[in-house]
Amino acid sequence: MADIKIVLPGDIIDTHRKEDTEQPESNAEDSASVIRLGPGLLQASEAVSAVTAGVLHSNSETNRWWVAGNKRRYVAAVGEPVVGVVVARHGEGYRVDIGSAHDALLPHLAFEGATKRNKPNLAVGTVVYGRVVVANSVMDPEIECYNSNTGKSEGYGELSEGFMFKCSLGLARRLIDTKAPVLAALGNGVPFEVAVGVNGRVWVNAENVETTILVANAIRNSEYLDAKQCRQMVKELLEKQ
Amino acid sequence: MSRPDRREASQLRALNCSLGQLNRADGSTQFSAGNTSVVSGVYGPVEAKVYEEKLDRAVVEVKFRADIGAPTTKDKWVESAVRSTFEREILAHLHPRTLVQIVIQLREGDGSVDSAAINATTLALVDAGIPLKCMITAATCAVLFDDTTVVDPTQEEIDAARSTHTFAFASGSNDRGPLYVDSRGEFTMDEYSHCYDMCTLATERVLAFMRTAIEGKVTKEAKIGAA
Repeated sequence: MADIKIVLPGDIIDTHRKEDTEQPESNAEDSASVIRLGPGLLQASEAVSAVTAGVLHSNSETNRWWVAGNKRRYVAAVGEPVVGVVVARHGEGYRVDIGSAHDALLPHLAFEGATKRNKPNLAVGTVVYGRVVVANSVMDPEIECYNSNTGKSEGYGELSEGFMFKCSLGLARRLIDTKAPVLAALGNGVPFEVAVGVNGRVWVNAENVETTILVANAIRNSEYLDAKQCRQMVKELLEKQ
Repeated sequence: MSRPDRREASQLRALNCSLGQLNRADGSTQFSAGNTSVVSGVYGPVEAKVYEEKLDRAVVEVKFRADIGAPTTKDKWVESAVRSTFEREILAHLHPRTLVQIVIQLREGDGSVDSAAINATTLALVDAGIPLKCMITAATCAVLFDDTTVVDPTQEEIDAARSTHTFAFASGSNDRGPLYVDSRGEFTMDEYSHCYDMCTLATERVLAFMRTAIEGKVTKEAKIGAA
């Protein structure tokens, strides 16, 4: 934690590894020396520069570089779990608001066991948990509520009852980890269900409304709290109940 | 010659900013230099209206609201200044068919409003995570009637100035020249060059200030994430 490197847009990143300089020139085409750039970095002619502010991360084995920063607006990326709200239905599927610039498409057949005859009927306003399958800048994103390889829902699908709220993308990414301190602390006190979308939307459900609100408030409060403070905050909330 | 607020000629007013104050905006900054204070909110990338969307890039829209009164031509000028400065520095091709909306609210205007608006907007765009080619910083200079040049003038100094100059620069590459220049009044080429140099130095200090502000916020979030 001592030496985190924070970059700002326009900062040139020195992506040369120390051992690279010792290697002969012929290894330059080696697959290991190919630099892979993740979010927040862009190549401009010879140099690599940051385009967003955040902490610079790198993996020396795979030679991947990326910048981790917090945002509030989601930009869809393939494979990410998202929580969305159905805003319209049309011939081929539903339009789902996942918080990105454009609504995502959710085909009628992108559910577990769905066929042309037998497919779920979702009303406008339904909350769904899905996975992004198409995401690029020129097309509208597309999500599915099952794993198209196995045909199983794997937890995705309609989220009935419960409560959905928004949070920052950074918090959502931390909550994805099942060891997230706030979720662990809450789980020790009350039983509840949670679906975390990395688009900054979290759905929670518990046996009664009071508990659902408590869980939602605890998660929202945890934005700027570390593990110890989280446990304390959850403890206080549970005592008040 | 001493300035009304006893600053040195090349001294900026006290800078202050706080990031992410508006909780409904995607990114926001409250930026102030002395009594001049602006709030900039960034929304984006959001869905653009069909008639304004561009197929190959994001549209940048800027709204400037004065602290009091109806919108004036001067406000529109600041809008176009901010838009023209940022339009080319936002990596708009990464988010085609979308809109990046920048709303600047003037809280108190005490001179150098346009440079404060540009500085606030840079921080707000960074806070929103909009991809930028570089950091953009701006500073204003005024040449007074006694031929002295002062940085970051107050309204009182601007009213008593022969000419005022605002420059915006991109971080890391001053050889690219200024991104935005606004010079008003009568001045000689030498005075212009002098203002250019003074603003270059001033923007470097503003950039250092911005870096500290952003690093503070990022470090705070990174620590929690790692804990």
